[in-house]
Amino acid sequence: MAKKKKILYPVLFMIGLTALYTFILASINQGSLEIIKQQEALAEQKSILYVFGIDAPDSNDATTDLYTSKIETVETKTQSYYIYKTSDGIKGYAFPFSGKGLWGSISGHIALSTDFKTVLGLNFTSHSETPGLGGRIDEDWFKDQFRNLDVSASPYVVFRPSDSGNVDAITGATLTSKSVSTILNDFMADIDTFAQKEGLYD
Amino acid sequence: MTEIIRVFKAGIYKDNPVFRQILGICSSLAVTNLLTNSLVMGVGLMFVTAFSSFTVSLLRSYTPKHIRMMVQTLIISAYVIMLDLFLKAYMPDMSKALGPYVGLIITNCIIMGRAEAFAQKNKPFISFFDGLIMGLGYTLVLLFIAFFRELLGFGTLFGVTVLGSGWVNWTLMIMPPGAFFMLGIVIWATYKLFPHEDDAGKAGAKA
Repeated sequence: MAKKKKILYPVLFMIGLTALYTFILASINQGSLEIIKQQEALAEQKSILYVFGIDAPDSNDATTDLYTSKIETVETKTQSYYIYKTSDGIKGYAFPFSGKGLWGSISGHIALSTDFKTVLGLNFTSHSETPGLGGRIDEDWFKDQFRNLDVSASPYVVFRPSDSGNVDAITGATLTSKSVSTILNDFMADIDTFAQKEGLYD
Repeated sequence: MTEIIRVFKAGIYKDNPVFRQILGICSSLAVTNLLTNSLVMGVGLMFVTAFSSFTVSLLRSYTPKHIRMMVQTLIISAYVIMLDLFLKAYMPDMSKALGPYVGLIITNCIIMGRAEAFAQKNKPFISFFDGLIMGLGYTLVLLFIAFFRELLGFGTLFGVTVLGSGWVNWTLMIMPPGAFFMLGIVIWATYKLFPHEDDAGKAGAKA
């Protein structure tokens, strides 16, 4: 093949092909950007509704409508949070949290009552814990333990069978369970300070 | 037609990418703890292998031989990014479950292997079919492994509980070692089941 020894042809060929594929990918990316953003927003809305204990409807549009009618987002410099408002006033606050798990970071949302003494609900939005072991933090039985959990005194989350234990850890996932309690205890201490500063207490 | 049958047989068992060529092992170990994950991963790989083989074959007479690897990598990664975007937009839960493995399809040796071994020397249509069937061969092995891992490890199939509450989950099966055991068993069983022509001769001589 005569072309083999030429330098110009391979370079031009590669540039041409790269340009073509970049163009195709850029168009697809542009086309799907909106849908991906919507999906991400929807997943977040579902998670926040879940931590407040509000049942999300099946349809996506209805979920968004419900979310906008009940939840108000507040952004501050250090921390963004969500307020659940009903006709009888504020029901609670939800905060996004994130921390170090066993394999990677664990993030999610936690909702607290207006006096910051009770957890309304907890949800994990992303984690990379071992499936079947630490990954079980995603399961309902684990998250449901945090519904209406009394957190008036520090340390807030303590695993049974410790004397002051209030939550069951996951068998076979000691390190993940520990990470979760550390993340939550640290985070709730921070939130306490934050809430005092912002004047969120009743 | 005979060509199609030959390619089909090769992809499914004679030259199966996983248990015969021992390619794509990393992902077969990683995503096989759930059937759904394996299925989506397999279908994703079929898509990428088929289209990249097709494109490589289409461009084969224009591609300078010494930069062909670069071209193949470019083509493969483009299709993987398309798949990743598609999953993110239309199957967000699946995209989350598969995590980094979708991006890692790029490094799946099966795709590059087929581009080098088949698409480089054959016409576009049959290359497309070869990619599709090789991907199917991979998917079938993945599903087979995942079937046992999910059934024994979670007591479920495609997320539906089948073994009841009395079943004690074999945690080992969902951990990485479970995948090694299963894959080892699969390779051993298929080696006995579909003896290679060369190996059959050797075995006969020994006996």
